[in-house]
This record gives sequence, structure tokens and C-alpha cells, in this order.
Amino acid sequence: MAKTVNVNVHHVTRIEGHGNIVVNATDGQIEKVEWQVPEAPRFFEAMVRGRSYEDIQTIVSRICGICSITHSLASTKAVENALGIEVSEQTDKVRILMHYSEQLQSHVLHVGYLVSPDLFGLPSVVPLAAKAPDVVKAVIRLHRLANEWSDLIAGRTTHPVTLKPGGMTKFPTEKQLRELLERLKNCVGDLTAVAEAVLSVAGNIPDFTRETEYVSLQQDNPPTYTFYHGDITSTDYDGTIPVNDWKTVANEYVSDQSTAKWTKWHRSSYTVGALARFNNNGQLLSPMAKDVAQTFGLEMGCCNPFMNNVAQLVEAVHVVETSIQMIDELLTKGIKDEKVKVSPKAGKASGCVEAPRGILFHEYEFDRKGHCVGADICIPTNQNHAAIQDDFEKFVPEIIDEAEDAIRLKMEMLVRSYDPCVSCSTHMLDVQFVK
Amino acid sequence: MKKPTVVLGLGNPLMADEGIGVHLIERLARSAERWPDVDFVDAGTGGMTVLHLIEGRRRALFIDCAFMGQEPGAIRRFTPDEVRSTKVLAHQSLHEADLLRILALAEELGQCPERVVIFGIEPQVVEPRQGLSAVLLEQTEHYLSEIRSELTC
Repeated sequence: MAKTVNVNVHHVTRIEGHGNIVVNATDGQIEKVEWQVPEAPRFFEAMVRGRSYEDIQTIVSRICGICSITHSLASTKAVENALGIEVSEQTDKVRILMHYSEQLQSHVLHVGYLVSPDLFGLPSVVPLAAKAPDVVKAVIRLHRLANEWSDLIAGRTTHPVTLKPGGMTKFPTEKQLRELLERLKNCVGDLTAVAEAVLSVAGNIPDFTRETEYVSLQQDNPPTYTFYHGDITSTDYDGTIPVNDWKTVANEYVSDQSTAKWTKWHRSSYTVGALARFNNNGQLLSPMAKDVAQTFGLEMGCCNPFMNNVAQLVEAVHVVETSIQMIDELLTKGIKDEKVKVSPKAGKASGCVEAPRGILFHEYEFDRKGHCVGADICIPTNQNHAAIQDDFEKFVPEIIDEAEDAIRLKMEMLVRSYDPCVSCSTHMLDVQFVK
Repeated sequence: MKKPTVVLGLGNPLMADEGIGVHLIERLARSAERWPDVDFVDAGTGGMTVLHLIEGRRRALFIDCAFMGQEPGAIRRFTPDEVRSTKVLAHQSLHEADLLRILALAEELGQCPERVVIFGIEPQVVEPRQGLSAVLLEQTEHYLSEIRSELTC
């Protein structure tokens, strides 16, 4: 059917930048399909120049209020790599435990508050709370647990204060870990309830496939479904690339339709995030997480970007199950005090972890006094921009005959499925008084 | 055991006047011992975390930078039902939040305190830099006095 379509989802708010969606079609001919990113630059790489290696984590944590732990860990790892610092096994485990709390926090919020309303056919989580209050309450309980878990290990919910190059400023006590262990065991019911609720509307997940490259970390020794250690791999690459060589993977470039840099490796774009991790490492998931994946029919090799949200649910289960095991191991060995002494020296290196929304690279160079002389950060959402554009170009012709509102909604859902990280620098009120 | 009243300072101190809520909560927290039944919390730009901070309380007070069409530096006390949000949300990510929608969700779930009061302070400038504008800084004592009077109600 020949038709004219104009979709223009434009969200240039006063401060926060968001992506714009533009589709123009006349008489059935698609003239323009664009994912535009007008976000203002924030200059964090300039802000850290001249600062001590001890201050980097505190500053770059502010890049994001959702994945502040992830940015803190990536930067701390980069600093430690640059200065040749090794950490203890206990520190390593506790940091991974901290990282898992953020994966749970972010994934349950994204699936519960942003994706579920789409699948239930509702405009936001507020009407969903009226329709399915038990599910929303389960999401909130899980989010609260994840927040309190972060409080315990990171010192607070966002912007950790317990990390320092070489170790931790504070470890949780064994009593606190035992309490956390019980709470994690008890949250499985809520996780199952949320998974079942999403499964009940899984038929509304759009059926769309675009073959692409999926990039994530891969850890071989020991083989682990990794968020924290390992090297870089992809579904198009047999083997791994060392983290310090991440620029040969990202190949950042500038696009006219974006203020953010875009990336590509073996194809015109690649995808990062939960589905990328699943596609590269799915065989290493915990048993219960594998069951959830199977229930949804999620299999390695999946190229439906909307299934990223199912992969997030699967990972939420995985991090809980794995954390239970890790806490057991920590308690068996007992928590010990650690004395850490670090001396500055010149060096340059990268650090990499998986943010909830995909692989994240931080790189720093220090002079002999440990002052930062250069920084480079490549965030996951920038690595997904080109993939979103490529998805749009394949997806729009497939749905162009649908009503304009349906096209708009499906494109918004597609963007949401990537769980993009846009600026969260302000959350101020914008109000009008009701007369 | 949660205290019956919570005062939440919202904002980002790296965005000039947007940090007014955090600035004021730091000041209020210094005399926290005068208010044994009150928790003073720097809630930053925590978004949905607000839900957990207000749950189980009888009263919640918010201090936030607000575009209200007033003179820069003006403070206004209001309740959620006196205003409507004009904030445009993209609903694309978790990185945006609207306090009024979060309160609506808490209400829907029966987890909203009986009394919710918002102190909005009109900014002069919101941009990436540290420090408040002089017009807000000079009125700090006035803002504190307004909030403390509310606490004695």
C-alpha cells in the first residue's frame, strides 16, 4: 500500500539529550530513516587531566547515575593496569559482587519499568501498577534489594566510596554477608514472578531479525559468563583481542547525525549488551538462568534486538545465583583485613568491564607522579548507535504499512530494547501550577 | 527502623543551580541532632531510588531545583496535587526521571507517605559547572528557615 509517513520523535529537552527518531516516506517510498543523537558532550576525559590516579574513580563515576559502579570499576582497573598494581583474590571477588548488584539493579529496573509497559500495551509503569500491582511490587522489591546490596559493598547505592586503587577502603563483615546471602536466596520467588509476567506477554515482543556482530568480554581461565575479567571477542571473530587493544575493535568515527562517536568492527555496525554477552558466552550461564532462557526460547545466535530484554532477565537470575555461590566461597575463607600500599609511577593502560548495557572501555595515561595526562572512554551506548541505525533501515520497510502510531511505538520500543545510556546529569522538576 | 519523616535533597552539584537540593540537605544534616525523627538524605539524581527512600514514612519533604516560571532564586512550597509536570520524557532509558511520576507510582502502589511537600527553587543557571549562582547562595539562610518551619509543623 502506497502511503505517506512522517514520524518525528524529537526529544531535545532543556538539558538532557536524547535520541531522535525520524522517518519520512512519501507514497510508500522511504526517503529518510534516522537515529539521531543530539546529546551535549560532557568532557569527562578533560576533567580528569591533571588529577591524581587516586581521584579518577570518584570523578568518572559521575558519568552515569545508573552504572556508576561499572564506570568506577573500569577506571579502577585501568589505573591499576597502568600503575602495575595487583589486587588480592578477596578484593577481586568483593568487587565482582559489587558489580553484580548493579547488573541486577539496572536490569530489573529496565525490564520492569520501561520494557514491561510496552509489552502489556500500557504507556508507562504507573498504569501497569494498577493493572499488575504484584508484578510491579516484585520489581520494586528486587530493585530495593539490589540498592541495599550496593549500599553494603560499595558504601552507597550510587557512586561507590569503597573502591581505591589496589583494594577496598572497607569490606563487608561476615555477618553482613550472611544476611545478604539469605536475602538473595529469598529473592528467587520475585525473580520468577517477574520472568513469568514477562513470559505471559512475550508474544508481543516484535518478531524482527537482523544478522549482525555481537561484541563482549570473554573469559577463558576459568571459563566464566563474564562481566568483569577477560578479553574482547565477537560473534564474527574467532579468538580474543587484549583489552589494551580495544581501539582496534571500536574503530570510533564521527557521524553527521550524532554528537556521539559511532563504532564498527567487521561490519557496518556491532551490538553490545546482554544479548551480545549471551550470544558469546551463553553456554556458561548458571543453571537457573539457562532454564529462564529456555522458557523464552532464547538461544545463542539470536539476532532479534528486542530479545536483549529477555537476555537481561536471564542475566538478572544469573547474577543472583552466582553471587550466592561467591558469598559462600568468601564466607568459607573468612573476610580478612588488607593493607594496601600503592606508589605512583608513569604508565598507560586500559580497563574494561561489562556495563549492564554493554562493554565499556576506559584508558588513562599517568606521569611519574601519578597525575593523569590523558584519558579516553568509550561507552556501550555509543557502540550501539550504528546498530540502531542499521536496525531502523531494515525494520522500517518491514512495518511501513502499519499505522503511523504503531510505527512510532515499535521504533521507540526498538531503541528502548538497547537500554541506551543517555545523560542523567539533571532530574530537575519542570512544573506548571494548576490554577 | 525508619524515621517517620524524610527530607530529600535532589540534584546534581556539577550542574550549577541544579545542585541546590544537595547544597541545602548538607546544611540541614549538620544540625540533624535537633531533629531526632527526621532523616536527611542526599538523593542526588537517584531517580527511582526515591521510591525506596519514601516508603514506610509518614511524611516526605523534597528540595529540588524547579522551573516554575518564577524569578531566579524564588522558593515555593507546594504539594504534588497543586502542579502538573511539563517535563518531556523520551521514555528511552532509565537515565531520566520525573519526581511527580515517581510519586504517582508510589501512590498507585499504596507506598506514598500521607504528607508530601516539595520545596522548588527557581534556578538562575543550569549548566556544567560547580557552585551555585550568587542569587541562590545569598538566600541559603532564607531557604533553610522555610524548610525548618515546615519541619516544626
